[in-house]
Amino acid sequence: MMRLVRRFGGLAGMLAVVVFFAVNLPDTFLTARNLLNVSQQISMLTVVAATMTVVMVMGDFDLSVGTMASLSGVVAAVLFTQGWSIPAALAVSLAVGLAGGLFNGLVVSVIGILPFVATLATLTIFSGLAFMVSDGRTIFGRDIPAAFGDFARGGPVIGTVDDRALVLPNLTLVAAVVVLLVWVVLEQTSYGRRLYAIGGNREAARLAGLPVVGLRLSAFAFTGIGAALAGLMYASRVASANPTQGDGLMLTAIAAVFLGMTLTRDGQPKVLATLAGVAVLGILDNGLTQMRVDSYVREVLIGAIILFAVGLSALGRKGVAWRGLFRRGG
Amino acid sequence: MTLRTCLIGLAAAAGLGTPAAAREVAVITPYLAQPGTQFYVDGFTARAEELGWTLNVIDTAGDVAAVISRIEDVVTQGVDAVVINVDPAQIGAGLQTAADAGVPVVGMDAGSDPLVAANITSNGYAMAAETSVYVANRIGGAGNVVMFTFDPFPPVQVRGAIADAVFANFPDIEVIDRITPDVSDGGIADSRAQMEALLAANPEPGSIAAVWAAWDQPALGALQAIEAAGRADEGIVITGIDANPQARDAIAAGGNFEASVAQDFDGIGRTTADTVARILSGKEIVQRVIYVPTKLVTIANVNAE
Repeated sequence: MMRLVRRFGGLAGMLAVVVFFAVNLPDTFLTARNLLNVSQQISMLTVVAATMTVVMVMGDFDLSVGTMASLSGVVAAVLFTQGWSIPAALAVSLAVGLAGGLFNGLVVSVIGILPFVATLATLTIFSGLAFMVSDGRTIFGRDIPAAFGDFARGGPVIGTVDDRALVLPNLTLVAAVVVLLVWVVLEQTSYGRRLYAIGGNREAARLAGLPVVGLRLSAFAFTGIGAALAGLMYASRVASANPTQGDGLMLTAIAAVFLGMTLTRDGQPKVLATLAGVAVLGILDNGLTQMRVDSYVREVLIGAIILFAVGLSALGRKGVAWRGLFRRGG
Repeated sequence: MTLRTCLIGLAAAAGLGTPAAAREVAVITPYLAQPGTQFYVDGFTARAEELGWTLNVIDTAGDVAAVISRIEDVVTQGVDAVVINVDPAQIGAGLQTAADAGVPVVGMDAGSDPLVAANITSNGYAMAAETSVYVANRIGGAGNVVMFTFDPFPPVQVRGAIADAVFANFPDIEVIDRITPDVSDGGIADSRAQMEALLAANPEPGSIAAVWAAWDQPALGALQAIEAAGRADEGIVITGIDANPQARDAIAAGGNFEASVAQDFDGIGRTTADTVARILSGKEIVQRVIYVPTKLVTIANVNAE
């Protein structure tokens, strides 16, 4: 019985959250429009958390994703102000993300600095660069091409409800593609299996002949690009960019991966589980707002729910879910 | 306020609903932690309670994209109106959602937008007129004036434009410099440095009659420069705008910093609630920008509040 609770407690908890809101908000919660709204609201977090899963599979993590998202947004916006085309500016931003990610990989994997320390340092560096690039300003209005802001407001129409078009948001589609890509990489390629092997036992993976240093280095490219993409999605959604706007994504993304880990059999990070974790966080925000729960109380509740879910799961497999997190890199 | 909304939130979470007829309004801001915003929201809350509304105050803690998300949520939930305190240009997606659902959005010192039914704010033109006329009258309509302005920021630009017009209307007032300080460090330090340079360039007592600043920080920087140069007793008149606590202290001290203008944050909150009430009762709002009167703060009334 206890084992059943531990194995499926997380899943049951998530379903309970959905049922709770469905009962309390019978007319508005389980509607296509609301669920599509939620999917759009969590799209940026989904991208960051999905790519975060790639490094967490190895027992690493990346604290710099939030400030990288901010940096990528202001880089694109500043390029817009200088007359760059949208594709060119986006390409540069994503390249900045790739470079930042590879740099993280380099310091973690080749130099061997603990991910916590290394990415804490790059978090600060990226944030500083974001302020330098933008002069600390918010870039908005005519400086941002209309098509860039319109992207996050649009999407294919998939129906009509109450005489209002039902739109499948573009941002949701982008997030879905990223989740699919990460799923293929992690679950369908030998590259992904090797990352899991490193997470299982780094020393054994090395002795088995895996190029651990190179694999860890390359995996950080995912978080860098994912963060940069999320930053662009954020900038599109608010049709503006400022040097701190993506910062909050980092902690929530890590929380989402941990929440997802409570769903998997052996506490391994899996991208679809991460997606479930993100969805629960998004649903909590959405449902509690609709129930008029004070925003500060909402934060406390969400934190408590994360603790409860992860705690429940940790009871079942003490030490496993947290493996490697604070272990020395090498 | 916070405790009360917590209690409202807990009551709502516990399922203690309110009568269906009650009006429901959501106030959404990323900036609740900032003092000005808190005063707006307190004023709004007080008036909303008098009107018997159910109020949901949502702070997204600096996250502007979350403002859009929360607008979507409360529109889905079916609120009667949404009040925002954030630049509408950044939340167009949320404004569109509200417009599509027919939910009116009112700005509380937010900025103008076609999708915002009305924006309630202070009149920057009037504030600048108050202080520039104070300066002109105080120096008897004659003398050299230094202006601190910041044209890149539209709300401050209008203040400078009004002061330009007022000083131009006095034939014996000459604006000897119109300085745009570097504001990256808050504006005080660079304003002080620029003022020190000007004082050095104009060593004769009386060669600078007044400093007019478009907001308080440059005025405080100029005050520091004048005091540091030992020229506090020349009677140089300094004015700012916004009446922040530091400026109030300086005015109360009775030195060169003589006047500033206080915005009525509480009044902005109350007037926003009254405007929402008018919209909810079906009245058409033709005045898309609604100004709440401000007050000149001098040594005569700085301690009166």
